[in-house]
Amino acid sequence: MMFSALSSKHSAFLLCLSPPSQAAGAPPETRCEYVCVRSAPPLAASCSCVAARVLGRPSLASPRRALRSSPMAPHGSRRAYSLTEGLSARQRLRILHFMEGISLWLAVLLMLFVQPLYAEASTGSEDTAGVLHFVDGKGQWQEPALVLGSDFDIRVSGLIADSRLVRTFRNTSDRWREGVFVFPLPEKASVYGLTMKVGERTIVGEVQPREEAKKTYEKARDSGRHAATVEQQRPNLFTTRVANIPPGATVSVELNYQQLVSYRGGVFELSVPTTLTPRYMPGEPLAATPQQWQGGWAVPTTEVPDADAISPFTVGVADVAADSHRASVRFTIDAGFPLARVSSPSHELATQQDGQVMTVEPQAGEIVMNRDFVLRWQPLAGQEPGAAVFHQQWEGEDYLLAMVMPGRAGKTRLPRELTFVIDTSGSMAGQSIRQAKEALQLGLETLAPGDRFNVIQFNSQPHALFMQPEMATANNLARARQYVSRLEADGGTEMAPALAMALQSHVKGRGEVSADASPDESTRVQQVVFMTDGAVGNESTLFSQIRRQLGDQRLFTVAIGSAPNRHFMREAARWGRGSYTAVQDPSDISGPLVRLFAAMEAPVLTDIEVRWPDQSASVQEDSFPRRPGDLYQGEPLLQVVRGIPPAGELSVSGRLPGGGKWQRSLDLQQADSGLGLNRYWAREKIDSLLDEARVEGQEPDKAKITGLAVEHSLMSPYTSFVAVDATPARDPESTLVKDDLPTLLPAGSQPGMTRYPQTATFAPLLVALGLLGLMFSAAIVLLQRRAYP
Amino acid sequence: MSRLLLLLMTSSATLLVFGLWIPLKAVVAQELLEIAWAESQARQTESRPWPWADTWPVAKLSMPELGDSMIVLAGVHGESLAFGPGQMMGAESQQGTVIIAGHRDTHFRPLQYLEPGNELQLQNRDGRWQGYRVREARIVDSRSEFIDTHKLPAGTLLLVTCYPFDTMDTGGPLRYVVEARAEVIRTQVTHSQDSSGKIDTVAGL
Repeated sequence: MMFSALSSKHSAFLLCLSPPSQAAGAPPETRCEYVCVRSAPPLAASCSCVAARVLGRPSLASPRRALRSSPMAPHGSRRAYSLTEGLSARQRLRILHFMEGISLWLAVLLMLFVQPLYAEASTGSEDTAGVLHFVDGKGQWQEPALVLGSDFDIRVSGLIADSRLVRTFRNTSDRWREGVFVFPLPEKASVYGLTMKVGERTIVGEVQPREEAKKTYEKARDSGRHAATVEQQRPNLFTTRVANIPPGATVSVELNYQQLVSYRGGVFELSVPTTLTPRYMPGEPLAATPQQWQGGWAVPTTEVPDADAISPFTVGVADVAADSHRASVRFTIDAGFPLARVSSPSHELATQQDGQVMTVEPQAGEIVMNRDFVLRWQPLAGQEPGAAVFHQQWEGEDYLLAMVMPGRAGKTRLPRELTFVIDTSGSMAGQSIRQAKEALQLGLETLAPGDRFNVIQFNSQPHALFMQPEMATANNLARARQYVSRLEADGGTEMAPALAMALQSHVKGRGEVSADASPDESTRVQQVVFMTDGAVGNESTLFSQIRRQLGDQRLFTVAIGSAPNRHFMREAARWGRGSYTAVQDPSDISGPLVRLFAAMEAPVLTDIEVRWPDQSASVQEDSFPRRPGDLYQGEPLLQVVRGIPPAGELSVSGRLPGGGKWQRSLDLQQADSGLGLNRYWAREKIDSLLDEARVEGQEPDKAKITGLAVEHSLMSPYTSFVAVDATPARDPESTLVKDDLPTLLPAGSQPGMTRYPQTATFAPLLVALGLLGLMFSAAIVLLQRRAYP
Repeated sequence: MSRLLLLLMTSSATLLVFGLWIPLKAVVAQELLEIAWAESQARQTESRPWPWADTWPVAKLSMPELGDSMIVLAGVHGESLAFGPGQMMGAESQQGTVIIAGHRDTHFRPLQYLEPGNELQLQNRDGRWQGYRVREARIVDSRSEFIDTHKLPAGTLLLVTCYPFDTMDTGGPLRYVVEARAEVIRTQVTHSQDSSGKIDTVAGL
């Protein structure tokens, strides 16, 4: 605040003027000059110097040093020196007395001047009682008192990446705090452990049914004990709460999760999400209260009843403390084969190799949590694994994970009907929309004569370029290019009507086409390319819609932006029987997209059948995914099963695009030992139970999922982790303040909501400073005239 | 010594003059803007108040209860705010939401005297006045709250200025927001499917 600066200056003046009064009685041994010079700007320093000269002690070092920095100083000091020289001791005493009087008067004047400002300032904050929403009772805004640090330690072995994420909450205030933080995790992560560390103490968390965990936590919080809980809001979105963080202390919460490494086209990829793009909440608000005063947290709507739980404040990097929202990341990759290259499209890397084990860290050390960290690694050319089997025995049960890579198929290109859907909602503003436009232009380039295409953009409403898919003629393509180049991001994200338009335009177009009865129309491959950041809150409804309206079509999703909703992208593609691609940064657009568009030309393998050695019903029930979808170029087939010992053969068969049959068998005895397969299996099982419920339009089997999650100690929609300390730490008298930690706005995106502008001028400050200076000089003039007539 | 004193006096006087210049400029500019406003109404174009200005009048805001009126400029950058309140968002936006921000030390100082029920008038370039009624005034923290323009009810007028009014702190995070609602809700035709962002015709009044 400016006040404090002003008052410190004020006190400096007083200090500087008062010494003579002390010096009048005592020998000039006071150290006041030193104090002035240290605490006040040159103005005060020069004044102290004057006082010093008047006292006839020209040899003080510090004022001199201060004077040398001022251009006016040499003249002033010489003159002051000559003035004091001819004075007798009595005269000096008189001057001192006089100065004492002046300084007192000046002090009173300053007090009179400054006091009303203080008074105004304090009433200014107080009279707002009853209208304030984001300021506490004392009229002070709440600063984020918790500093958040994150530490990712990720160990990759084979196909499974095991991560240890330590979040530290450092309380910088002098009150007890409860920290609430909403954060993303990889879309297929199985969270299996929570440990809380308070000082030297370590408390291991346990899985409890969600409601129970919530109660346990709240009870512990209210009784003043240390407690932490993590809850799943979406498969890739979690909330952690940490209760009773002591003033000045740090509580850390360690989260263990594992995920499958994605392997496609000979490249392994792993992404570490650090933030989330603010989601759009369709539907009408449930509460009647005005929404925009809720402070960034969206209110529940008819479509998204938990909107408030998944919409943390999003702030810029500059709005959090300089050391908050930073993450250290460390990868240890033990792939099992020599690596050719480790790269990241998102961050600069520093790698270190030790045999086959590679250690990777970002070059910059700590990274700002406003961009997903993506790491890719590649085996040496020709040594790409074509198949792999892992085995684990857990609690007496065998778990097997198998990966098979179908070979490259010969190209048989069919004419296509391609619909591009591009998200132009407000959340895409900034770099995202530029990326999406570029991606779309690339997509248009892949069209060949004979293809049909259309472009649909959507925000609050969808809008199509053509009434129905048109032939890819030069003229139509030029129109499309122009249309795309003019797109701008603004408005809501109403995905449902856009999806309906894209999926149903095919059907309509087809009906009309059949009238021409051109022979190849029936074999036309119908594809929809959906480019979005997936920033929506009603994912589930959209999946059902895709399932209903898909028909013979295929839906491919392209994730855009620094922090896309990968869960949505992946699942939408799965329900749409297509595949999903993430575009990381502008320079990285063409690579993944060229691969996608190449892969889209035709599925490599369809009608896939997997035969385990034991074909009993229970095994079929326990192998996932139960019905493998079609595979596209470069995609592996992954199967996980429970209850099969590592013996016998796994055979996989499918149909190639030309109609030929493809078959391959894997010797299970060769299985490598793996870790965490049971958790991967359990997560797949839970997902499949949830899928079934969605397909049948029923409530999921809550008891079964809860049982499964507790057995494998996993997080699920119905189970949460909670860790509670045994002894209370906070005494009931001291209050606990809740602190909702913000997340960072993804790099390159513009805030969807408008910021309040800065609307104050320097006028009052300048006037005040000017008046103060004038009064001060007037006082000095007065002093000079009286002292040296 | 006297030189030092002279320096002190000159700098203080300069500070004072600069400090007084800001409100003076704000007052004088409004006179010039009146002329530009009349001109832009007559010609129905953006007419700049002086050739090198990078802003232009877009509306006239009147507060009958306080006996005050002022010309609203386009944009909320420092240049426009120095001469008049700036329009962050105009009536051509999706739901006719208008957001105007002004300096708390100059034009929007009277905002603190506005009370619920007070009338506000906004004149657009074609000379028509739109009446608004103040619903409430609130203090918000600009660090933790944003204006979610999509969720504001149709026909909302937001006046934004810094808060508290009597402080020397220029970078404070608090804002004083007056929310007013249009007197006659203008019926607005929903956006055509054309993406060019044209203003829809407005019926009513």
